Amino acid sequence: MKGRLVTRDPTSGICVLARVEIATFFVLLSMPFLLWSRPELITLATNVLILSMLAISFDLCWGYSGVMSFGQALFFGAAGYLVAIVGRDLGFSSIWGSLPLAMLAGLCLSFLFAAILLFDRIKPTTIFVALGTLTGSYAAERLVSGWQYVGAGNGLSSIRLLRIGPIEMVEGIPFYCLALMLFSLCYFGCRVLVRSQFGLVLAAIRQNEEKLPFIGYCVQVYKAVAFLLAGVIAGVAGMLFAYHQGFVGPGNVGPSLSTAAVLYCLLGGPGTLIGPVLGTAVVEVASYFLADIDTIRQIWPLLLGLMLLIIVVFRPNGLLGFIVSDRERIGSYGRGGSKQVRTTT
Amino acid sequence: MNGATILDVRGVSKSFGALKALTGVDLLIQGAGLHGLIGPNGSGKSTLLKVIAGAHSVDSGSIAFKGRDITKATPYQRARAGISLKFQTPQVLPLLPVYDNILLAFQARERPWALMRSISRRTMHQDVMAALERFHLADRADRLAGELSHGEQQWLEIATALACKPRLLLLDEPTGGMSPAERRVTGRLLQAIKSDCALLIVEHDLDFVREICDLITVLNEGHVLGTGTVAEVQDLPNLKEVYTARV
Amino acid sequence: MAKGYGRPPTEGIDRRRVLSGAAALAAAGWSAGAGSWLLRPARTLAAAPIRIGIATDITGAFAPWGNANWQVAQFVVEDINRAGGIAGRPIELHLADTATDPRIAVGNVRRLIQEYRVDVVLGGISSAMRQAIKDPIVNRGRTLYIYPEQYEGQECTKHLFCTGPTPAQQCAELIPYLIKAQGRKRFALPSANYVWPQQLNRYVRKVIEANGAEIVFEEYYPLDQSEYSATIAKVRDGNVDCIFNTVIPPGVQPFMRQLYETGFQRSGGIVILIYYDEMSLTYHPIRELDGLYSCLDYFQAVDDPFSKGLQERYSQRFPDTKYPFTAGTGATGMYRGIKLYEASVKATNGDLAREAVSAAFDRAKLANGPGGSAEMVPGHMHCAMNMYIARCKAENNTARYEIVGAYDRVDPREC
Repeated sequence: MKGRLVTRDPTSGICVLARVEIATFFVLLSMPFLLWSRPELITLATNVLILSMLAISFDLCWGYSGVMSFGQALFFGAAGYLVAIVGRDLGFSSIWGSLPLAMLAGLCLSFLFAAILLFDRIKPTTIFVALGTLTGSYAAERLVSGWQYVGAGNGLSSIRLLRIGPIEMVEGIPFYCLALMLFSLCYFGCRVLVRSQFGLVLAAIRQNEEKLPFIGYCVQVYKAVAFLLAGVIAGVAGMLFAYHQGFVGPGNVGPSLSTAAVLYCLLGGPGTLIGPVLGTAVVEVASYFLADIDTIRQIWPLLLGLMLLIIVVFRPNGLLGFIVSDRERIGSYGRGGSKQVRTTT
Repeated sequence: MNGATILDVRGVSKSFGALKALTGVDLLIQGAGLHGLIGPNGSGKSTLLKVIAGAHSVDSGSIAFKGRDITKATPYQRARAGISLKFQTPQVLPLLPVYDNILLAFQARERPWALMRSISRRTMHQDVMAALERFHLADRADRLAGELSHGEQQWLEIATALACKPRLLLLDEPTGGMSPAERRVTGRLLQAIKSDCALLIVEHDLDFVREICDLITVLNEGHVLGTGTVAEVQDLPNLKEVYTARV
Repeated sequence: MAKGYGRPPTEGIDRRRVLSGAAALAAAGWSAGAGSWLLRPARTLAAAPIRIGIATDITGAFAPWGNANWQVAQFVVEDINRAGGIAGRPIELHLADTATDPRIAVGNVRRLIQEYRVDVVLGGISSAMRQAIKDPIVNRGRTLYIYPEQYEGQECTKHLFCTGPTPAQQCAELIPYLIKAQGRKRFALPSANYVWPQQLNRYVRKVIEANGAEIVFEEYYPLDQSEYSATIAKVRDGNVDCIFNTVIPPGVQPFMRQLYETGFQRSGGIVILIYYDEMSLTYHPIRELDGLYSCLDYFQAVDDPFSKGLQERYSQRFPDTKYPFTAGTGATGMYRGIKLYEASVKATNGDLAREAVSAAFDRAKLANGPGGSAEMVPGHMHCAMNMYIARCKAENNTARYEIVGAYDRVDPREC
């Protein structure tokens, strides 16, 4: 991963990323108060939160571990289908069961993919993983499109409402708060992980993967762990989405949504965790408001495609790349600092 | 220094297509100490180091490390067993601080779960700073590794390789691109290390080799020309021819 | 005195039709939902408007049907507003494009309810679409929903009323007619593989067997299948004399062509395409359509003055339109639905609460509509309407329907 080397003294540098994170969470926390009279905007905000989780799951894969996964929607949609079916056939939709179920679905499926794609004898290249995950996503879409039990091409609608104890969660402020809580848990969990010593290994993998086995690291294990965690997060997001929308269809598992996750992440800024959140917000909010304007609506798909192209070619670090230096994004992991120089005993 | 055999390379051959890089190479390293590997350009020195570390597989022959056969082991397995390689061109992690480069090597033996909880970050701080000071990098601890001078990057690489606590340290041209002053420092550093582990060094600078190596092996066109002490090797009949044949 | 309501919605539809297939990237297909259009009454009357939401396929594979629904909705609402609205309140019409994609539909319909706060939603064409949007409308949105399209029956959800024909209405008279009056004995049921043919065939089988005929085979094909020679061979080998065909586009065109080429109709075989109206006839060369049977709640050939008047005024309102006012698209059900809603709100004296309107709708009657009068069957969520059996005649390079049977107030027999 090439980057500009910035010779900025880290101790006096402004921690831009942290400020962005604080600002974002401040906005998210204030949403219920600002939007209490506009239910459709609360719905939009909830969707942004849920889709951000999907984007973060992609960031864990690509932005942090160099695993180009074009199939995150597979785990997202599978969890959605699972909770829809459990609701339909078993009459069950309590969060205390659905949440572990969704996490398990994400974990098992990502484990399956990791076993096939990441632990091959031949070292898997980025293209191989990308195509493998894309194929998986596509195959899943075809599979559910033809399977009557899961609604085939029509998908499953009338999903049982999510229950917390006796309370039924419809879209609105309570659901937003639930989504925000789960989102925060995921976000901070990931944040701790990528800034830990484990995160140091991931940072090293991004810069010089070939060297690491010679230091004594089994690179595949680290990539797999990140990939599994990403799968779990995508599963949780998929569960929330299904309960929120009241509908799952083949589009929820397919390459279309997988690519959307890529767009959200790359637009916002990969490798930052908060970047994908911003990217999702920008795309989804813009879609929502521009969808009303006739001329733009017709070319909106084209605009999004162009945007993705421009980002990939000219600004691979996304929107956050304008204000966050490479150094800050990659971070440092030790207790070290120039202040820490000590004489040896 | 014990006499236990650390590295036993027997009859190793390696070809890249039509190019025969190594043919029937034997190399024995017994006990800690500095073993030099010299030879003209293209004689297969770097290839031999890479083969020992596992970057390349062998076509024939065997490699044993501390009595165990590692001919088919992966680089990861060899690193865990105690072989550490510094590549010819510096492969520091350019966008991470110097401190983190070393920390990465020190924490390599921990399990992923322990790393997630960052248990050893505090306890390793001493080790990391000690390593940095030993290699004259302590005041550079915060700088990005990519900002170091070439010589400093070499030191960082050596320090990283050493941080893995190897029993056999393979160094490919540790003084590449260094000024004479830096070379002297490097020489002293290596001599200080050799009591802890065996070193196998590939070098072009014959004076450097003469000063610090205990044993030298000469390679030419993939064959071992001879092995011995500095004095013995200097008397090898073909030595001058081999070196002056190259322009 | 109302001026024109402004052309933008219709013009927008034409432009959109041109670009409706142009989703450049998969990512965009997900994010870009289509929004809503608004038809506002020209005069802002003092009374608070009644908001009606139309959720139909303006883009996507069903765009021709959806646009027909939308145009008829505008046509009816403009009529009502010209006459002073309902109980003195004007109607505001909002459109959500369901884009023939349940996933996009759910988002847009929810917006209709949350942002525009409509009092009733009419729409949905395929059963898949109805299933996808009924939850956001009826359950989560707690809004009345009227489904105008012919379908397979068994939709008995509270506050969900159906104003299109049911299997009983389409087949209860048609099948006995073909068996007794046309002497058909051996039926084949080639079908598209999804819920509408599957449920419909269950009913049709009962009627066929109850009337003493037999079913030679019943088969289901993927929606995109284009090769039917095996099926047609079965038709020939089984001496089938009547095909009850529920294959839909894009498969139905090759099916009909391959069937015609074996001379099935020319040697006396009968094909029924029960969902076909005048618009569908344009999908085929005329010679393949001769003798085709259909049974719907209205055909343009129906000769009653009110229906003819409606057609004239519709043509004036939308001259040279690609979307005729026909029954197969659900446009007649849309007309019925809006007019019955009008009657219900009049009965509640302008009270728009769902419970009140539902109770009134349950008993609502329509004195005049395309094809005649109609009335809701109390307690059964469905509408009794006049049904017509039509046979297509191909002559002078045109294909037209002739009415061969007309039945008054046929019972939907649902719920």
